[in-house]
Amino acid sequence: MGPGTRVVVIGAGPAGLTAARELARRGVRPVVLEQSAIVGGLSRTESYRGYHFDMGGHRFFTKMDEVRKIWQDVLGPEFLRRPRMSRIYYNGRFFNYPLKPFNALAGLGVWRALLVVLSYLRWQVFPYRHEDTFEQWVTNRFGRRLFLTFFKTYTEKVWGIPCSELRAEWAAQRIKGLSLRSAIVSMFVKPGTSIKTLIEEFDYPRLGPGMMWRAVAQEVREGAGAVRLDSEVTAIRRRDMRVEGVVVTTAGRIEEIGGDHFVSSMPVTELVRRLTPPAPAAILEAARRLTYRDFLTVCLIVNRPDPFPDNWIYVHSPEVQVGRIQNFRSWSPDMVPEPGRSSLGLEYFCREGDALWTMSDAELIRLGKRELERIGLAREAEIADGCVFRVPKAYPVYDAGYRDALDQVRGYVDGLENLQTIGRNGLHRYDNQDHAMLTGLLAVRNLMDRERHDLWSVNTEGEYHEELAEAEEVEAVAGAVEGRLAEIFPKVDGVALGIATGTVTGLLLALATLILVLKGGPVVGPNLGLLAQFLPGYTVTGAGSLLGLFYGLTVGFLVGWGFALLRNAVLFLSLAVLRRRAQLRLLKRFLEFV
Amino acid sequence: MARDAKDLEALVLVRVVRLNAVVAGVVTGLLAGLAVFVATNWLVLKGGRVVGPHLALLGQYFIGYRVSFVGSLIGFAWAFAIGFLAGAAVVWIYNRLAGLRDFSGAGPR
Repeated sequence: MGPGTRVVVIGAGPAGLTAARELARRGVRPVVLEQSAIVGGLSRTESYRGYHFDMGGHRFFTKMDEVRKIWQDVLGPEFLRRPRMSRIYYNGRFFNYPLKPFNALAGLGVWRALLVVLSYLRWQVFPYRHEDTFEQWVTNRFGRRLFLTFFKTYTEKVWGIPCSELRAEWAAQRIKGLSLRSAIVSMFVKPGTSIKTLIEEFDYPRLGPGMMWRAVAQEVREGAGAVRLDSEVTAIRRRDMRVEGVVVTTAGRIEEIGGDHFVSSMPVTELVRRLTPPAPAAILEAARRLTYRDFLTVCLIVNRPDPFPDNWIYVHSPEVQVGRIQNFRSWSPDMVPEPGRSSLGLEYFCREGDALWTMSDAELIRLGKRELERIGLAREAEIADGCVFRVPKAYPVYDAGYRDALDQVRGYVDGLENLQTIGRNGLHRYDNQDHAMLTGLLAVRNLMDRERHDLWSVNTEGEYHEELAEAEEVEAVAGAVEGRLAEIFPKVDGVALGIATGTVTGLLLALATLILVLKGGPVVGPNLGLLAQFLPGYTVTGAGSLLGLFYGLTVGFLVGWGFALLRNAVLFLSLAVLRRRAQLRLLKRFLEFV
Repeated sequence: MARDAKDLEALVLVRVVRLNAVVAGVVTGLLAGLAVFVATNWLVLKGGRVVGPHLALLGQYFIGYRVSFVGSLIGFAWAFAIGFLAGAAVVWIYNRLAGLRDFSGAGPR
């Protein structure tokens, strides 16, 4: 593959632009096609009258050195180290997030706090026997009161379906691996201050994540690549299983762009639908079963510099529809051009075409004002201006049927020999910006270095979140330990230990008896003979030594077997307790998993 | 939770531990030897008209053992030897049996 190779990248989000940048650095001139008017995809930064609005709030943290290096190479001094503060609004009160026990108890009040503890104990003793739903999964671990207080309403706002219909596998997938990992780390390494630092601070581009992607797009252009905005790929032409070109619509003008290789970060469902000739009916049907959750942000400009100190607030209260409120000045002071004002982003989770999505911008702004006042963060009269931005296909939904459907779609898409899919929606996976970037990088390596990375597997080995990142030495220990738990915590074979102990005990008793018998005397072994009090029929005689052998075998077996049983049980229970503690620690940061 | 317990079961207590016979022998020997040494000297220090008539019965097995300070040293040596043999024998037999019964692939150490 040489500089003349034509590579088409569909989508100018983190994955697509990272791929394009890497191609340009290697001398290839990629053509990036982006359907919207700005770059950044799901990590874009929208602007309105000089105000900048981050769609979703993107902290810049990664464990991947190559991703971190790209960020630093591209923006370097434009990064700010920002303090992090976030809270939960529920039932008219604000709770620190991550949860702090005393703050949470004070917010709940003594009576409710007691009920929470009692509920926790009740569900530990009498859990749901079957964990089929998210509700059952959380309740079994944290109790029903905590589920209702901190999990139910926010989860339902984000995903739009009752917790009783969300599959337990979804929770287990996002939390299970983590809890085990945390348990392992807590067993071997005492957490250091670096964890605290990562929780309390984060890096952020001065003008939001869009600043990063505008700079990357510029690098691509400087490398003789093209980044074409407002260019929607409406059809993907293929001959058998080879893609030959894409049909692009730019401001009503339709053209076809050919290519040797294609890298797509467009939603994989759309990719399948736009293939010409069409994909098989079964694949189209499978793609139809893959769904998304969308959101819209009502951006309000407030005539007050600091309505609240948080970067963002989770809104659990069911009496308002807003799910999360961003305070952009807290993300970066440069996001707000006027010092006497602030800009807030009220995020409403919805579905394309539903009542919220189709509401007019003016109505949404009115709704935002009302809800902001109701929460008590600003009065309606203080709102100077507002605008609305809609973000379709923000989250791939992991519902009951998604895995089978995705496997079918993936099986077909993988068969397209000169096309790779990347990014959150290209792979239909709820991963973060840095993972999306990594898929872009790996796609280029597959293409140019003939490497064979499975892009669908990036980050499936245990989801992680930035707040759970440990210092490097902790990571190293955890990584080393995680795969070797079976060797570190082996069991004692009860039967083997029982037989061994029994054999030696029996032989010792028989030998002790025979020694006295052989020594002889007027009264043989009067004291050893007292064992008959416990071992019926035992005597200090030749026959008694055989009976002693039998008794020794039996008693020794029971002692050895019992010891092994107890040792294994105690070890297992202690590990289970450690794991439970780790899960409870996760409770402090549970919203990261929703 | 039942499901968590299953996850844990799949990760730990899967392979069978192998023990070191010499270490087990030394530990058992030391415990036995110290027990005899301490018990003997305890009775010696308590004193009395007849010192340790029952413990003295160990002399039936431990040649040269008496309930005296010198006897406690002899008793330590005997008890250590017997304890070492017993402990090492238990572990030796255990390792052989565990090796026969374990299909997880872990070889004896």
